[in-house]
Amino acid sequence: MNTRSLRFQLVAWYAGVLAGCFVLIGAATYVVLQSSLIGALRETQMRRARQVGQLVLDEIRTSSAARVGEEIQARYAPDINDRFIRVTGSDGSSIYLSREPRDQAFDPADLPPPAWTSRTESARQVPLPDGRKMLLATRQIQTPAGARYLIETGAPMDEVQAHLRQWLTFLLVVLPVVAALALGGGSFLIKRALLPVDQIAASAERISSQNLSERLPVARTGDELERLSIALNHMVQRLDDAFQYSRRFVADASHELRTPLTVLRGELESFSQEPALGPEWRDRLGSALEEVERLGTIVEGLFAISRLDAGEAAAEWVRFDLARMTAATTDQMSLLAEDKNIQVTCAAAQPVWVEGDQARLKQVVVNLLDNAIKYTLQGGAVTLSVHSLDSKAVLEVADNGVGIPPEALPRIFDRFFRVDKARSREMGGAGLGLSIVKSICAAHHGCVEASSTAGQGSRFRVELPLASAPTDHPKNTNHER
Amino acid sequence: MRLLLIEDEKKVADFVARGLRAERFAVDVAADGPTALDTLAACAYDLIILDLMLPGVSGSEILKRIRRDRNDVPVLVLTARDAMAEKVAHFEAGADDYLTKPFAFAELLVRVKALLRRGPVNRASVLRVGDLELDRLSQQVRRAGKRIELTAKEYALLEYLVANPGRVFSRTMIIEHVWDQSFEGLTNIVDVYVRHLRAKVDDPFPTKLIHTVRGVGYSVDGEPEA
Repeated sequence: MNTRSLRFQLVAWYAGVLAGCFVLIGAATYVVLQSSLIGALRETQMRRARQVGQLVLDEIRTSSAARVGEEIQARYAPDINDRFIRVTGSDGSSIYLSREPRDQAFDPADLPPPAWTSRTESARQVPLPDGRKMLLATRQIQTPAGARYLIETGAPMDEVQAHLRQWLTFLLVVLPVVAALALGGGSFLIKRALLPVDQIAASAERISSQNLSERLPVARTGDELERLSIALNHMVQRLDDAFQYSRRFVADASHELRTPLTVLRGELESFSQEPALGPEWRDRLGSALEEVERLGTIVEGLFAISRLDAGEAAAEWVRFDLARMTAATTDQMSLLAEDKNIQVTCAAAQPVWVEGDQARLKQVVVNLLDNAIKYTLQGGAVTLSVHSLDSKAVLEVADNGVGIPPEALPRIFDRFFRVDKARSREMGGAGLGLSIVKSICAAHHGCVEASSTAGQGSRFRVELPLASAPTDHPKNTNHER
Repeated sequence: MRLLLIEDEKKVADFVARGLRAERFAVDVAADGPTALDTLAACAYDLIILDLMLPGVSGSEILKRIRRDRNDVPVLVLTARDAMAEKVAHFEAGADDYLTKPFAFAELLVRVKALLRRGPVNRASVLRVGDLELDRLSQQVRRAGKRIELTAKEYALLEYLVANPGRVFSRTMIIEHVWDQSFEGLTNIVDVYVRHLRAKVDDPFPTKLIHTVRGVGYSVDGEPEA
C-alpha cells in the first residue's frame, strides 16, 4: 500500500482522529462513571451511618450497649447483604461489630481500627487484606449526656469495580470495531471521491504529442475535481495549440524554402553546364549544388514529418503483407550491403498483414536497413525479421555494428540528432531518417524503439497493429518495380 | 514547339524559360492567373507548364478551365505541394504530369519532352552509345561486341541513362525511375549501383561512357568527358 497516497493519508487521519476521540470520550465517561458510582455508594453508606447513629441515640438512653447492638443486628443484618457496621464508644468499647458476611467476602476483624477525626462525617477507602477495597463511611455522634460514639458503615467496592471493569471491557471491544468501521467506511468514501482522480491520471497518461486533440473526462460533479480536469484540459488545449503552431511553422517554413531552392538549383545547374567553365569552377559549382540538394532533402524531410505528425499520412490506406514487402525491399537494397561485404538475412517467411500507406511503411524498412548498413563495419551482419506477436506486427532490424552510446539512445529519434556528427554528414545524412521512421510509425498507430550495446550492435523494433488476413486468395498486393 | 509557362515567381520563370529556350522551345511566360487565361484564349500551345500557387486565379482553377474548354493540351503541374492525395487529385483534374519544387531542370526537360512526344522518349529496341549496345527486347548489353552480364537493377539504371545520351540525370530522378519514391533521400544507393555498373561497363575499356556531373548527377555520353 502506498503510504503517501492521498487516500491512505486521509483514511489514516480520519481513523486516527476518530479513534483518539473515542478513547478520550471513553476515558472521560470512565472517570465520571467511577466518581458517580463511588459517590452513590458513599451516599448510601452515609445514610446508613446516620440511621444507625439515630438508632444509637434513641436507644442508648434506655437500654444497654448490648441491647443496642442486638437492635442494630435485628434491624440491618449487615452480614446478610455483605455490609459492615461497627459502633464504637469514645472509650474504645465496642458497642456493635457486624458478623462475617455469609459469603465470607471479608472478615470484619481485619478492618483497621476506628479512627477518630475532628469531622462529624467522613468517608474513606480502606484496603482489605486480599487487595480489595472497602468504602467506609464514618459518623460521630454525641448523646445529650456527652457520650460520643463512632458509627462506621462499609460496603466492599466490588460492585463499583465490576461496573467499571464492564465499562472498560465494553470500550475495549467497541474501539477496534469503531476504528475498523472508520477505516472501511472512510476508505470506501475516499476511494469513491478520488476515483475521478485515477481516471484523470490514466487519461492524462495516455495523452502525448501524438494525440493532443484528446481530452480528459470531465465529471459534471461541480466539485474541485471537475475544476481540476477542466483546468488540465485547458492546459492540454494550450499545448495542442503550441504543437500545432510549431508543426504549422515547420510546414510553412519548409514550403517557403522550396521556391528559393528551386531558383538556386536551377541557376547553379544551368551555370555549371556552361561549356567555357574551367574544371575548378565546375567543381565549386558542383559542391554548391550538393549542398543545395542536401537542403532540399532536409526541407522534404521536415515537410514529411510535419505532415505525418499532423495526421495527413493516410494518402493510400491499403492492406498488404509486411513480410513480403520487407523481403522485397531487402532484396532491392542488397547491393548496398554487398558493397560493404555485409551479410543481410531476412527472416520473413510467414505473411504478416498490416494496413497503411505502403510507400511510407516501405520507407521505414529502407531507412532502418540503410541505417543498419551504414553503421555496420565491413564484413558485419544485419538481420531483419518480420513476425506477428499477439495483435502486433513486429519488424526488427538488428546489426552487429558500432552501436549507439547509452547517453545518445533516448535522443536517437529526435530531429537533426546525430550520434557522430562528422561521420553522419560524411555519409550524406540529414539527421532526419529516424525521425521520419518514428513519425511514420506513429501515424500508423504503431511505435518504434531502439536498443543497443555500444560496440556490439543495435536493434530497432517497429510495432504496428496487425490487420486480419484477407479472406480471398492472397494475391500479390505489392507493386514492386 | 510553343510552350506556355505559368509561374508567378519571376526567378523560377526566368531560369526555366531560359533553359527551355536553350533547348529551342518557344516559351511564353504568364505571371498570374488572369494573364494566363488571356494568353491561352489568344494563342494555341503545345504544352503548358503550370505553377499551382498563383495570385488571382489559382493554378487548379486554370487547370479546370483548360479542361472544361475541351482543350487537351498536355499540362505539366509545378508546385511546392507534394502530398500524395493532392497529386492524385490533380491527375484526376487533368494534369498530365507533376513535378515538385525544388526540381532539377534536367528532370523538367525530360518530362516536357516525354509529354510532347506522348510516349517513351526513345522507342528504338536497340540503343547505342559509342560502342555500347543495349537491346531492350532481350535486355542484353554488349560493348565492343562483348556480352556484359548485368543484374536487373543495373540494367534498368543503364537503360535509363542510355535512352537519353548526353542528358544529366539527378539521383532523385534515377531513384524515382529505377527504384521508387520510398528510397528518396537515399542517394548513396545510386552511387553504389553506378560504381558497380562502371566496373562492368567502363573499367575494362579505354573510353569511359558513364560520367559524373558533380552536384547534379550522372549521364551516359559517347563523347569524352569535358
